[in-house]
Amino acid sequence: MDDFLNFILFRNFRAKRLMKKWLRSMESEAAEESLEILLKLMSLMFLINFRNFRRNIEGFNGRYLFKSRDNSITVSAVFENNRMTVSERLIDNPDITVDFRNGKALLNFILSPKPDILGSMLRQDVAPHGNFNYLYKFAYMAKRLQLMAAGSV
Amino acid sequence: MTKVTLDDISLQEYTLDNLELIQRLRKAQIKIKPEVCIERSRHLTRYLKNMSTDDEPVEIRYAKAVNHFLSSKKPLFFDDNLLAGTTSSKAFGAPVYPEYTGMTIWPELDTISDREKNPLRLSAEDADELNFEIYPYWMERNILEYTRKKYNNPACMGLFEKFVFFIAGKAGTISHTIPDYRVALDKGVEFIIEQAASREKDIREGGDITGENKQKLEFYRAVQIAMQGIIAYAQNLSKKAAELAQKTDDSFRKQNFLTMSEVCAKVPAKPASTFREAVNSLWIIQVAIHAESINMAMSPGRLDQVLYKYYKSDIDNGTLTDKEAIEIMSCLWLKINDNTNLVPETAEELWGGAGTVPAVTVGGVDENGEDAVNELTYIILRVTELLKLRDPSMNARYHYDKNTEEYRDRVAGVIVNTRAVPAFHNDVADIRTLENQGVKTGHARDYGIIGCVEMGIPGRSYDASSSIIFNLVSALELTFYNGKRPIVGDEQIGPVTGDPADFRSFEEFREAFKKQAAWLIGQAIELNEYFGLAHQEIYPTPLLSAFFEGPMEKGKDLIFGGALYNASGATHIGFADTVDSLSAIEKAVFIDKKCTFAELIQALRENFSGHEKLHAYLVNRTPKYGTEDPVALKNSQNLIRFLYDFYQGHTNYRGGKYRPAYWTTTNHAGQGKLSGALPNGRKAYQVLASGITPVSQAAPDLAACLRTVGGLDSLCIPMGEALNLKYPSVSGDDDLKKFAQAVEAYFRSGGLHVQFNIMSYETLLDAKENPDKYPELLVRVSGYSAYFNALNEAMKEEIITRTEYDIKTGKANPFPEADKSMLSYE
Repeated sequence: MDDFLNFILFRNFRAKRLMKKWLRSMESEAAEESLEILLKLMSLMFLINFRNFRRNIEGFNGRYLFKSRDNSITVSAVFENNRMTVSERLIDNPDITVDFRNGKALLNFILSPKPDILGSMLRQDVAPHGNFNYLYKFAYMAKRLQLMAAGSV
Repeated sequence: MTKVTLDDISLQEYTLDNLELIQRLRKAQIKIKPEVCIERSRHLTRYLKNMSTDDEPVEIRYAKAVNHFLSSKKPLFFDDNLLAGTTSSKAFGAPVYPEYTGMTIWPELDTISDREKNPLRLSAEDADELNFEIYPYWMERNILEYTRKKYNNPACMGLFEKFVFFIAGKAGTISHTIPDYRVALDKGVEFIIEQAASREKDIREGGDITGENKQKLEFYRAVQIAMQGIIAYAQNLSKKAAELAQKTDDSFRKQNFLTMSEVCAKVPAKPASTFREAVNSLWIIQVAIHAESINMAMSPGRLDQVLYKYYKSDIDNGTLTDKEAIEIMSCLWLKINDNTNLVPETAEELWGGAGTVPAVTVGGVDENGEDAVNELTYIILRVTELLKLRDPSMNARYHYDKNTEEYRDRVAGVIVNTRAVPAFHNDVADIRTLENQGVKTGHARDYGIIGCVEMGIPGRSYDASSSIIFNLVSALELTFYNGKRPIVGDEQIGPVTGDPADFRSFEEFREAFKKQAAWLIGQAIELNEYFGLAHQEIYPTPLLSAFFEGPMEKGKDLIFGGALYNASGATHIGFADTVDSLSAIEKAVFIDKKCTFAELIQALRENFSGHEKLHAYLVNRTPKYGTEDPVALKNSQNLIRFLYDFYQGHTNYRGGKYRPAYWTTTNHAGQGKLSGALPNGRKAYQVLASGITPVSQAAPDLAACLRTVGGLDSLCIPMGEALNLKYPSVSGDDDLKKFAQAVEAYFRSGGLHVQFNIMSYETLLDAKENPDKYPELLVRVSGYSAYFNALNEAMKEEIITRTEYDIKTGKANPFPEADKSMLSYE
C-alpha cells in the first residue's frame, strides 16, 4: 500500500513539475520543447487520471503525427487501448499530420486564448493534413491541460 | 391586383409606445446573451447511435432521426410572445449541427463562454456531453470527413482547406433556399402525409418496388415519418401551453397560453383558418425545417403574399385589427431572431457578425405580372421599421412599371428610418434574368430573396446559392506568380501560364488570368460535386423536400434533383479590385508604359515599399470601375461575361446549372486579410471591396457609379449582386424623393439590387471608438444586416471607408484626413 501511495504521489508530483515546466516553456521564445512536454504531460495525466482526464481517451483510437518543417522535430502520439503512446518517430497511417514551422507556432495554433489564425496562415505556421476532427479533439485536450495547469478548471 | 385600403400606408399611429407587449419583448430580446444549444445534437446522436443501424435506407433513417428529435424536443415558452415554438432549447440559442461545422468549436468548449468576440454561453455539463458523447460519434461522419474519405482526400479539398482560394459552402450548409408554406397553411401537414401515403400505396400496388421505385417508396415513407415529427412537436407545444395556462394567475398570460394551446392543437397538422394560426403554423414549420437543415439562410420568402389571404379574411370579418396584425408579425420577427450561428473564434475573426440570414421578401408583382403590394406589405415594412432587428434579412422588390411611387417612397422611408433596411430589388431585371435561366415567366415573377441577395423561386427552386465563395484575387495572384501564390508558399498551385514579364500584350495577360481562374473554379466545382454526392449518400432532406413542388410529384428528394429548378450558386470576392487591377495593368504596363510587368510584380512583392511613385500613379491615374472609364467598363463587362459563360458550361449533380453571383457577406474583409498587394494600389492584407460595389473612394460621382453597375449585363448575374451605397443623411421630403428616384434610375439602367447605410463617416468612426454608445446600430454588410459592434475590426473599417455620397449633389464627400490609414490603398 505504501509503495502504491508513493507511486501515485510521485506521479502527481511529477505531473505538477511538468505542468510548471510546460507553462514556462510556452512563455519562452525557445519553445521547441513545449510540444514534447505537452505530450509527456498529457500522457502522464491520462495515466494518473487526474480529474478523470482519462475519460477523454476511453475507447478512442487516434494516430497523430507532428512534424516540424525543418524535420528537426518528429513526434507521434498514438491513442489506443485507453492509453497514449508518444514516440519520436514517424508512424504509418496517421489520422492527422500536422506540419508546423516550429514548436511555438504549433502551440500558438492549438492553445492561444485568441488564436492568431490569420497570422498563422500568413506566416505559414501550421498545415494540418487529414481528418480535422482529430485535431479539434487534441486541441480540446491540450487546452484542458493548459487550463488545469493554470488552475482555471 | 390588390387595392390597398389602409388610410396611412406608413401606419404611423402604431409605435412601440402603444405596442407595449412588443416593446417589452424587444427590449428583452436585445439584452439576451446567446447560448450554445446541444438539444438537437443530443437527440440526433442518441437516435443514430443507439436506435438505428447503418443498413436502414438513409432517407428513412434520417427522417426517423429528425422525427425522434422533434418528438423529444422540449416545448418551451420563454416569454410572452404570441407564437409558440422555439428553434432551440435556449431563449437565444446557437444549435449544434455536428454533421456540418458543429465540431469546429470542440477546442473551445472550455473557453467559448468567455471568448472575446461574440461569446456563446455553454454549461460545463453540456460541454462534457459534447466532448464525451456527441462529438466522438461524428468523428468520421460529418460531411467534410465523409467526403474526404470517400474521395480519397482530393486535391481540390486541400485547396479549400487553405481558405485563400475558395470556400466550399456545402461543408457547412446547403439550406439557402425558400420553402413554400402555402400547401401546409392551406391544407395542413396531414394533407402532405396523406399525399405521400397515397403515392406510396400506388407504388406498392404497382408491384415493382425495385430500382427507382424503391427510392421513391423510401422517399414517400420518409416524408410521412418526418411530417409526423412536426405534428408531434406541435401537439407537445399545445399540451405544455395548456399546462402553463393552469399554473398562471396573470390573465394576459393565461389567455395567451390557452390561445397558443388551441392554435398548436390545430396547426400545422390541419389547415390554418386565421391569421394568427397561419403565422404560428409557418413558424412551427420553420422550426421543424431547422431540425433537419442547418439554420443558415433558410428563407421564409414572400410573407406578404403567403399570409395575405388570412390577414384579409380576418380583417374583413372583423376578427383582426391592423394593430393586432402588427403585433403578430412583430412576434414572428422576434421569433426569427431566437437563434444564431455556432461559429468558432477563428471564423468570428475572419467573418464575424453574420446572423442566420433568413430572408423575407415583400412587394413586386404577382405571378400574373400585376402589382402585388398589399396591406400586409406595409404592415411588414412598419414592423421592420419599428423593431430594427438584425434578422430577418429584409428585401423589398420594386417593379417600376407596376408598383406605385407611394410604395417605392415608403420603402425608401423605411430605409432612412432604420438607416439600413430593407434592400431594394429590381423586379424587371430580376425576372428577366431568371427567365433567361429557363424559369417559367409566372414562376420568375414569384421570386423571393434567399439569404443575402440571391434570387430563388419559393418552393420551386432548390438553389444551394452559397455553394462556392470564390476569391477572384487569388486567380489574379496565381497569374502574377505563374501558378503560385505567395501566401501559401512556393507550391505550384495552378497551371504554369508563363512569367507575366514575358507577356507582350494585355490580351496575353488576360488569357493567362482566365486560364488560372477557370482552373481554380473547376477545382471549386469539383469539390462542390463531391459534397453534393456525399449529401445524397448520408444527409437527405425529406422534411424540407415536402415543402417543394417537384419532390412530391417525382418521388425524389431535393438533394437528388427533385425540385423544378436546380441551380448551384457561386459568388465572387474581390470583383472591383480585380477589375481595377486588370485596368491598372492594361494602362500602366501596356498603354502608358509607366512600368514593365516585372517592375510591377516587384512592387507588389514589396507591398509598394520603395515604389511610392508607381503606387501614387496606380492609385490616382489608372481607370477605376464605377467611373465610366472605357477601359474599366470593358474589363468589368468582360469579366462578368467570362465568369457567366464558364459557370453555365457546368451542370451540377442535381442536373441544374451553376449560376454566378456577386455578394460577399463579410468574406471580402476576411479574404482581403489573406491577399497580397494588387496593381490597383491596394496594399497587402487590406480589405477588398464588397459585393459588386466599386472600391471605396474610387467612384466619386454617384450617377456614373450607378450607370456603371447598372450597365453590367444582369443576365450574366443570375444568382444576384450586392451594391452597397452610403449616404450620411437623408432628411426631408425632397431628399427622400431624390433618394427613391436615384434607386429608380439605377433600376432603369439595369441594376439588380442596391442597399444602403444611412450614416456618416463621423457616426461610424464614433461607433467604432465608442461601441457602448451604439449598442443597436444596424448596418448592411454585403447582402445582410448586422449589428456594427458584432463585426470584426476589418469589417468595421470596410463599412466606414465605403464612399459616402451627398444626396443633394451626388458627389462623394471627402474621407476624414485623420483616418485615411484605414483606406485599402494607404
